[in-house]
Amino acid sequence: MMLYMAPKAHYFRHRSRDRSIHQVAVVLLFLLAAISSHAAEVIPPKPAAYFNDYAGVVSKEAANRFNAQLAQFERETSNQVLVAVFPKMQSDSDVADYAQRIAEAWGVGSKAQRNGVALFVFVADRKASIQVGYGLEGVLPDITAFDIRQNHINPHFRNGDYEGGFAEGIDSIFKVIRGEYKGSGKTHLERRANTPVPSFLVFVIFVVVLSIVSRLMRRLGGYSYSSHRRGPVFIPMGFGGGGGGSSSGGGGFSGFSGGGGSFGGGGSSGSW
Amino acid sequence: MNKFAIGCGGLLVIVLFIVFVIGLFFWGTYNRLVGLQQGVDAQWAQVQTVYQRRADLIPNLVNTVAGAANFEKSTLTEVTNARASVGRVQLDPSKAPTDAKQLEEFQAAQGQLSNALSRLLVVAENYPQLTATENFRGLQAQLEGTENRISVERNKFNTVVQEYNTAVRRFPTNMIAGMFGFAPRPFFSAQPGAEKAPTVNFNFGSPAPAASPAATAAATP
Repeated sequence: MMLYMAPKAHYFRHRSRDRSIHQVAVVLLFLLAAISSHAAEVIPPKPAAYFNDYAGVVSKEAANRFNAQLAQFERETSNQVLVAVFPKMQSDSDVADYAQRIAEAWGVGSKAQRNGVALFVFVADRKASIQVGYGLEGVLPDITAFDIRQNHINPHFRNGDYEGGFAEGIDSIFKVIRGEYKGSGKTHLERRANTPVPSFLVFVIFVVVLSIVSRLMRRLGGYSYSSHRRGPVFIPMGFGGGGGGSSSGGGGFSGFSGGGGSFGGGGSSGSW
Repeated sequence: MNKFAIGCGGLLVIVLFIVFVIGLFFWGTYNRLVGLQQGVDAQWAQVQTVYQRRADLIPNLVNTVAGAANFEKSTLTEVTNARASVGRVQLDPSKAPTDAKQLEEFQAAQGQLSNALSRLLVVAENYPQLTATENFRGLQAQLEGTENRISVERNKFNTVVQEYNTAVRRFPTNMIAGMFGFAPRPFFSAQPGAEKAPTVNFNFGSPAPAASPAATAAATP
């Protein structure tokens, strides 16, 4: 904070100068302060896939295979298991804390069941973290998460075999949490895409309101869009159809969308 | 006369409307404050749960560690004492503390326990036979997870308290908050050292340095 005292003093000395410049300076000052207090940590933006290799440690085919596997697991069990591989940590915090915040921000798992598991890997830091959502802490307690990390993932990672580590890690997580919740046969994204889009509702309400208004107007003897016909008379053109969900999963790729799950720090984190 | 009556009626309608709007504002604000306060209390219960979880792990941990030959007595008594003092600072788990001093005491006692625990785990490193046992490793994984949970729930608690406090202090909500006794709540302060979970994450595989004679004694029965 002391750092920003100097420009502030400067701001007061040249009070007579152009005001807008000072306003810009003040805004910049606040921005700087805001950035400096948050610079320590970056929460990556929400991912579009279940398996996200931002560090490029596994082959494209393997990544696609893992992704399909993870999506299928959600269809079968409703549990969202997400993997993200980063080149390095963008935080000064402990890996467990940082990973928890990412998992929470991404909302892995459903909001009601909070059944998400997230595996984060920070390659340069040689650190990995399994984060377990509240709803899965019972079947996947810390000891089990520790065991998966220590005995099924770390040995592969130590040998540089990331693909093997992910394959075995994902498999172990699946084995443990399968059966806790029932799947609906669809992923969160697929379900969401199939429900009527809200814009359609807005359109219906719009039409209803308009028809009521037009009737009222007519009854009051005011203007009418059409004095010959009854019923809704004003239909906006170019609004045609309205709604209709966009289909997802084109080309066999299954996209990920977090269901709003939350995390309480359960799981296991550490170096390999 | 008629005009006067109409004027009176109009005035009455306006007054009624204003009263209605104010009532609506009171209603909404009051309900929002109740909701926020309940969020704070609910999160406090979460905080208490995770601290309790840690406290519950300690007897087991102490027993396991005490079983190791010649384990340093002082670290163990320290943990036991800290655990006891934590037990003495019991706060209502269903209602977040309203007194900043209460929370400070609670935090100080818990911080002491954190320190004692981290010391115990550091000392335990000198006892490879102990750290190699399945029981100890399990306890350690659980303890580590519990420390993480404590940090998470504390942060979440601070977030909801901040939200609540902002609502209570901000105009015009603060008038209604004052009227119905919604007071700002204290939150956890980040003390240097206390905020950081004890480093319970050491490598099991590496051989422990033969720092104390007790370690060698334990290693060669």
